Amino acid sequence: MTTEHNTHFGFKTVAESEKAKKVADVFHSVASKYDLMNDVMSAGMHRGWKRFAVSVSGVDRGDKVLDIAGGSGDLSKLFAQKVGAEGQVILTDINASMLGVGRDRMLDAGLNVPALQCDAERLPFPDNYFDCVIVAFGLRNMTHKDRALAEMQRVLKVGGRLLVLEFSKVWQPLSKAYDVYSFKLLPLMGKLLAKDAESYQYLAESIRMHPDQETLKQMMIDAGLSKVDYYNLSAGVVALHKGYKT
Amino acid sequence: MLKQLSTHIIQHLLAQNEWAAPMLQPFASKSVQLNFVLLKTSLIILENGSLALAGETNVPDASITIPPSLLLRLMAKDETAKLQIKVDGDTHLATALAKVLSHVRWDYEDDLSKLTGDVSAHKIGEFSRNTASTVKDTAINLAEMLSEYWQEEKPLLAKKRHVEQFNTEVDTLRADVERMEKRLNKLANKLSTTPDPNNPVS
Repeated sequence: MTTEHNTHFGFKTVAESEKAKKVADVFHSVASKYDLMNDVMSAGMHRGWKRFAVSVSGVDRGDKVLDIAGGSGDLSKLFAQKVGAEGQVILTDINASMLGVGRDRMLDAGLNVPALQCDAERLPFPDNYFDCVIVAFGLRNMTHKDRALAEMQRVLKVGGRLLVLEFSKVWQPLSKAYDVYSFKLLPLMGKLLAKDAESYQYLAESIRMHPDQETLKQMMIDAGLSKVDYYNLSAGVVALHKGYKT
Repeated sequence: MLKQLSTHIIQHLLAQNEWAAPMLQPFASKSVQLNFVLLKTSLIILENGSLALAGETNVPDASITIPPSLLLRLMAKDETAKLQIKVDGDTHLATALAKVLSHVRWDYEDDLSKLTGDVSAHKIGEFSRNTASTVKDTAINLAEMLSEYWQEEKPLLAKKRHVEQFNTEVDTLRADVERMEKRLNKLANKLSTTPDPNNPVS
């Protein structure tokens, strides 16, 4: 007899096997309006956070970059411009609806970025292949974050960098206002703009359940990365973690 | 927001100075803390030879400390002041970064040309350089004029030759005093070894 482990899905507790399906349902539902909602929810700041992630990545022409949970392809587009024709950027996402949006955008922009549907906990790439792996606003939706981080470390070359851009623990004096925004205003905006309050309720809850800055730093160290450091962006609403494979 | 903006400005400057990246690239992933008057910040060298502000938990590999007293001397391009900058940790790394930071130049004409076009940008640049040169010359003239006034008309400042003459006189006086001290010692020794004529036994 096997025992089923539980995990969190927002503030709810669900069986591990159910989480991926539930997350998939959320993103199938929001895919078409994902970027619009991101712009509204973050007042356009998510673009600045992503640009900052690219600027501290140290990615140069000719580098190989893996964009995990890349969804609508914002980061892949920025990295494709950095690595040039001699480099390689691969856009991946576990969710076909989100990946479809990203793939179409890359094609429309005339960028040669292959889009691949895959699970971050089982990456279909060889060891020591990429110069940079990035996961932006995707790690908190993964069922086994430790396994996913270990996989990202595996596919990095020695000297390669893993960047994790994710919502994090906000500066304490702002936490009350942030709670009101997340649990009252966010679902309301989801209802009005995307006609989907529940999905945005999940987004707010999943942000709260995600590890804080120091915990995620330790998780990256445990996954075999070194010199792990992080940047608090917008008073800790978002944190960018960077670690090296040595 | 400040981190994002600062990193963007630093990277923009380095992109304009293409010689800098190959100098920094061998030190990729290392960081240096800069302590300069009230400013205390750490810069990390990226794998492409660019720079970014370091994160919240960064442990620097080297540090450069510039005391406030050196500020004016450095601005006046006093080469001896550079020797008094304190460097700790990986000195090769700190020296390479200091060299890059001190030689980076902002090509403002290039930035301006994107807004106004090449010709206007060059004209504005030329005007700025001429204005800066005129301001500099005027400042030097004013300083020389005040210096002359305080030396000749209302002597608050000492003239160089007077200071040198005073220094020479102090040196001569010190030498004379030393000579006299030696003579006195010699005389005291002589007196202590000569028998007292009033007390021949002692």
